[in-house]
Amino acid sequence: MAAADLNSVRATIEGRLATELANSPAIPVVFHNMAYEPTPGSSWVQCLTTFGASEYLGQGLTTNSQNRIVGLVVMNIFSGKGVGPGANLVIGKRIRDLYNRVIVSGVFFDAPTGPEALASPSPEGYFQTQVRVTFEFIEEL
Amino acid sequence: MATIRGESGRVEFETGSGTLGQVVGTRSWSLSITKETLDTTVHGDTFRQFVGSLVSGSGTVELVYDPDATGQAAFVEDVIKAGDTADASFELFTTGDTNGTDSVSFGGIITDMEITSTVGELVVATCNFITSSTITSNLE
Repeated sequence: MAAADLNSVRATIEGRLATELANSPAIPVVFHNMAYEPTPGSSWVQCLTTFGASEYLGQGLTTNSQNRIVGLVVMNIFSGKGVGPGANLVIGKRIRDLYNRVIVSGVFFDAPTGPEALASPSPEGYFQTQVRVTFEFIEEL
Repeated sequence: MATIRGESGRVEFETGSGTLGQVVGTRSWSLSITKETLDTTVHGDTFRQFVGSLVSGSGTVELVYDPDATGQAAFVEDVIKAGDTADASFELFTTGDTNGTDSVSFGGIITDMEITSTVGELVVATCNFITSSTITSNLE
């Protein structure tokens, strides 16, 4: 066993979204620390994966022991302004279905929150909703 | 002063036909040792007197259930052993993994096992045991 490879977990989470949104109709998706200049009025998704607290799970120090690591995926869904929420929620459903109570490569996704409409989109000029999914995985040392 | 935290703990077990080995995935253990007392108060005494008698122990081991974790299956299934002759051995460590050091060892019987599966939580198995025969303490 070895310490958790957080980058591998991130790749699992983000890869799942990238694959789904590459399907028709394809939606651009941008991740942490990536430059992106959206086309005005178009739909696009921002995915932000964050790792949070770890906690002891099993006894033992650095061998034959386990930690539980939790994290959060925040997905901001942007769509054209002034045309209603429908197009945005269609994307939201695709994303929600992608993670809803799914277990992938040892990553447990909880029931998602959202899509929640945000009153102040960032960047401005779009209708924005947000889907949030907490996840956890077990680190085995 | 050297304090010890629970994550340093360890449980070793063998079910009667092998050698002690770690039960991987233990989350906690507890052991309570009790000494019975005999009343030796006699006529004329003004204060009650006792002597120590039989010593016994009981406790609990809690596991984060993993069917593939080394030692877990033998541990949780020992409770269903029919005609149990108390041939299982336990060693509970406060820290380290050197047999006979910072530990308590004894023969015993797992008297009940409870496994709990709850939505959104880890599956946890809890085994209660009693000691049988000598309890060897190396907690010094």
